[in-house]
This record gives sequence, C-alpha cells and structure tokens, in this order.
Amino acid sequence: MSGQLRSALIIGVQGIRARKLRTFLSMVSLFLGVLAIVVVQAGSQVAERAMLADVELNSGKDGTAQLFVPSNPKVPQVLAETLTGRSDAVAMRSTSATIGEPGVRALNPGASPFEGPGAGGYGYPMTCDSQGNCTSGEDQSVPKGVAIEVRLTSLTGDVRQFRPYRQESGRWLDFDSAPSLAPRIVLNKQAAVGFQRYRVPAQMRIAGATADPTPQIIGVVDDGGYGAAAYVRQDELSNWVPSTTATAGTPDPRFGGGTSVLLSGAGTDVERVLKSRLAANGVDPSQLRTELVQSRARAASTLNLMRWIFLGMAALVLLIGVAAILNVGLATVGERVEEFALRRAVGTSRLLLAGIVLAETLLTGLFTAGAAIGVGALAFKIAVPLLGSGRMAFLRDLSFPWQAAVAGIIAGLVAGVLGGSIPALRAARIPIATVMRA
Amino acid sequence: MTALLQLSGITKTLTGQDEPRTILAGVDLTVHSGQSVAILGRSGSGKSTLLSLIGLFDRPDGGTYLLGDRDITRLPERKAAALRSAEFGFVFQRFFLLKHLTAMQNVAMALVNGQGWASRRQRRARVLAALDRVGIAHLAKHKPARLSGGEQQRVAIARALVREPRILLADEPTGALDAETGNLVVEVLRSATDQGCGLILVTHDQDHAAKMGRVLRLRDGVLA
Repeated sequence: MSGQLRSALIIGVQGIRARKLRTFLSMVSLFLGVLAIVVVQAGSQVAERAMLADVELNSGKDGTAQLFVPSNPKVPQVLAETLTGRSDAVAMRSTSATIGEPGVRALNPGASPFEGPGAGGYGYPMTCDSQGNCTSGEDQSVPKGVAIEVRLTSLTGDVRQFRPYRQESGRWLDFDSAPSLAPRIVLNKQAAVGFQRYRVPAQMRIAGATADPTPQIIGVVDDGGYGAAAYVRQDELSNWVPSTTATAGTPDPRFGGGTSVLLSGAGTDVERVLKSRLAANGVDPSQLRTELVQSRARAASTLNLMRWIFLGMAALVLLIGVAAILNVGLATVGERVEEFALRRAVGTSRLLLAGIVLAETLLTGLFTAGAAIGVGALAFKIAVPLLGSGRMAFLRDLSFPWQAAVAGIIAGLVAGVLGGSIPALRAARIPIATVMRA
Repeated sequence: MTALLQLSGITKTLTGQDEPRTILAGVDLTVHSGQSVAILGRSGSGKSTLLSLIGLFDRPDGGTYLLGDRDITRLPERKAAALRSAEFGFVFQRFFLLKHLTAMQNVAMALVNGQGWASRRQRRARVLAALDRVGIAHLAKHKPARLSGGEQQRVAIARALVREPRILLADEPTGALDAETGNLVVEVLRSATDQGCGLILVTHDQDHAAKMGRVLRLRDGVLA
C-alpha cells in the first residue's frame, strides 16, 4: 500500500473512533438501504433457483427443437422406423396407464400426485352439454381399489440429453439392450410416493393394449412434474400396444394430446426426413410445427427484469441513507475545519485530505454492508429451513448467495463514495492561511 | 553562512468585500541556517500574512521567494504540501492539538501525512525523541485535555520538530501562555536553532523578541 493510502486509512479510522456515535447514526441511516439491496439480490437468487430449477426438466434444455406431431394411426410406426437407434432425436408419447387391481378406480384419478399441490386427485374430466350442464367422467359404478394411475410416456431413445431428469434411485432405461416382454418402467418421484404408500399388484392396464403386462419398476427419477408419471421404452410398450390397434396413434388428451419429437436443434436432416415420411403417411404437413426451446433464457430474462425493478426500489432506499451520510459528512467537515487546515499545514495534500474524508465514509459504508450482510445471512439461515420443509423444498440445501454479499459490499462502497464526495471536496478546499490565523 | 530562505520585494494585497488592502509592499528578508529572527509589529500589520507566505500557505502577488537556491514563488499546491512537510515546522498561538488524540498521536500527525512512509516503530521512536527534546516524553500518552497550556504548546513544538525541519515558523506561540511558561516555550524554540534550524518568531512581546538573533519590525508593509 502506498503511503497516501495508509495515511488515509489510519486517519480515517482515527476519525471514526473519535466520532463513534455519529458514525453509528450514519450506519443506522444507511443500514436499511444496504439491507434492501442484499435482500433483493438474495431474493432474486432464490427466485432464480425456484424458477429455473425444473424448467429444463419440464421444457427441455435451451436449443432443443420440439416437433409436435398430430394424432394419426401411422405416426407410431413412422416414428419407430425413423428414430429407433438415433441419439439426436427422441419421440415421446404419453398415454394413461393404471397399475394395480384390475377393474377398479385408481387411488389418484388423472395421475394426480399423492402429496403437495393437487394431492387427492385432479378429478375426472367433466363433460358439458350446450346448456352448460356438466357431468363428471367418473364411473361411479366402478369400485375404488388399490391401483395407481400414471401418465405413461413411451420413448424411442434416451431423452435425458434434452430433459436432464435427475436419477433418484435405481437406474434409467437401457435403450441398447433387447426389449423385454415385461415392460421396464422408471417412475417419477410422485408415482414413487404412491408405490411406497400402497401395496399395488403388478398388473398394468394401458389404453389400447391387447393384454395387461406385468411391469418391472427399475428406477425413480425427478422429472420436475407434479403428477404421477412413468417412462417406458417405446419398443417394449409396442409389444402390448401394437400400432395396428385403433387407439395406437391417439395419445391421451389429458397428457398433452399429441406426440412430440425432441431434436438436437432445428432444421436438422432427421427433422426433414421425419416430416417427409409423416407427410407421405397422411399427416398434414401444415400441422407439423417445430418450436425451439428457450424457456430458461426467457425465464432468466423475466427474472432479470424483475430483479432490476426491485433493485431500483432498493436503490431509492439506499439513496436516503446516502443523503444522511452526506448531511453528517458536511456537518463533520464544518466542525473539523481547523483539523483539516492543520493537516494541510503539516504537509497533507488536498488530494489526501479528500481521501481521508472518503476513507471515513467508505469505511462507514463497509461496516454497514458487513452488518447488513450479517443480518441478511442470519435471517436466510433461519428462514430457509422453515420454508424448505414445506412446499418450497427446493430451498432446503440453499446457502446464502455470495452475489448478495457482493451486492451489499458494492452498495456500501457506492453509498460511501456518494455520501463522502461532496464533504471530501469541501475538506480539500479549506484555506490554511485563513483558518490558522483565526 | 548558508541562506536558508531569501525573500525579495514580496508583495501581497488582500481583496475581499472591502477595498483591496496592500498588506506587504516589498518585503525583503534573508534567514540563514541556525539564525533566529523575531518579527514585531502592530496587530494587522501583516506579520501573520508574511509568515503564511513563508510557510507556503499562500502565494505572494509579487517578488521572489528562494528556498536555498530554488525559486518557490509560484509552486503548485502538491509540491508546496511536500515542501511544507519536508522543510517547515509550524507553531501557532492556538496550539491546534486534536483533542481525541494523545500527545504522541498529535505529534505523529506530521509523519502520517502521505509524504513518505515510516513504520509504526520508526514513527514511535521519532515522536518520542521529539517529545523528549521539548521535555515532555513522559506525557506521551496524555490527551490534550489533561495537559497544561505550556505542555500543550510543547506538544505543538514537538509536532513541528518531529520531521527535523530546516525552518521553524512560530506565530505568536506565547500569546495564550503566562509569562513564565511563555519564556520556557521561547527557550525551547530558540534551542532548536542550535542544531542549524532557522527560526522566525512573530511576536508582540519585546522580551521574547530580544532573545532572538535579529529583531525586525513590520511597518507599512515593509520590514525594517
């Protein structure tokens, strides 16, 4: 450190120690502003985590192209022929499957979750006539039994390159091995809860299946979904739901109502070939639309906008603190005219004198930032376990974001510079001769 | 004998809300190493103005100011600050001690001014030596409120001497002291010239002036 900087720091600390109460009052007025910045920054990190945590699981990684294919009896066969064995494109088709006792109503109609929002069932689809009279699709004549309904998604390949499902236990589907007659399925977390809670017979009823297969549950993943779901190899499912059956090309409308193909980017060769084959098999080309996934970027952009709006409001609160520092700083310089004149008389330059005043306000800003960060981190530590035990489970392993601490320090320093610059200029302009003669 | 400083034809006119007033109208002054000079004059005669020009607190309107053989009449502020630190020591009528600092810290103020850097140990040694030189090393840890007027002025003298200046400027240093303490302070100041330091003492007191090597009177803006 240079002599100038060391001198400014030493004298600055002396000045703060000599006026502890005044420094404390400046810190109090600045505290709320810095705390507001810290809270907004920490809050935005939490919001980012909340918003972006599952966005890739649900919508896919940014850059993934998603081709929506309308219902058509020949679609499954075309997809299987074109995409089987490919790693750059995966077809997904969802239908309903009920695992458990045959001939009963499921415990979770509509593949509703077993815990969290929606627990207890989404209910059966309602049918309404032109008069507005609606009736539930639930067949009351069917008795309730031990069966779990899942959204069963068949895959032509490993979808995790596009949707990075997190493995919770067991293993993921192996697309390299020979297909099994007992379909291997991977449950999502919500479905796993149901299977943990109830003893369910291993019999799977699938819409359009020729018979009820016995599934093998090989793993559990977190797919970011709220309902009960399961994933299966398309070729294993087709053993039981041949493409020749009437419902084979008709996915369950409750789960999206169509087939989608995830591709590594738009305009690829495989997309062109697939579209051509689908069109040749009677699919209307105008109904084949491709969307590029940009969910994460879009969510981040929205979040960024919100962050800046809240930071703007926090900056206004900070500005009030700056005004208080400025006020105290000007009053202090007025009181210390003799001291500053004396310091200049003994060789302190104008620049260093301004530096001394700035060092005091900067240190005050830093101390305030330290206090605000400490309070913010403490509140975070207390709040996170409380909130993380309920619906906001994603908060559980969240630590105080370092970005909030950095923002707090920057806010403290900026407040110090803004609040100290005018007093510093005043101090530097004090005429020695006039003061020392007085 | 070496000329420490040499003023030739120095003029200064003060301008304010009133009519411009010529304070110094061609001051000539030469001070040699180890020489003590007393400047007497009525209140408002320009003694303190002259001292502030010599101490580089202000600039003259005209004339030439040589420090050794270097012309410092129109020195930029940054260089003037460096020269004030290196070449001059100042003692004022009011002691200008900072009440929140100890005697030692008040003296050290002249060393913590951004003009070079001394370690804490070096600073402590130099400050204690300066306090010892004025006979109050035992009061190093006392704050000004616990010191008498004479002791406070001696702390101020120690502060002026701690950088071992070539020229000591004292502006009515005994004005706030009783006669006996004043004599003691003048004696401390005069003893600084024994080691080659030049001393310019501005005073109203004839007795104190008589203890200096030369006595000059400032009248009508000129020294005689």
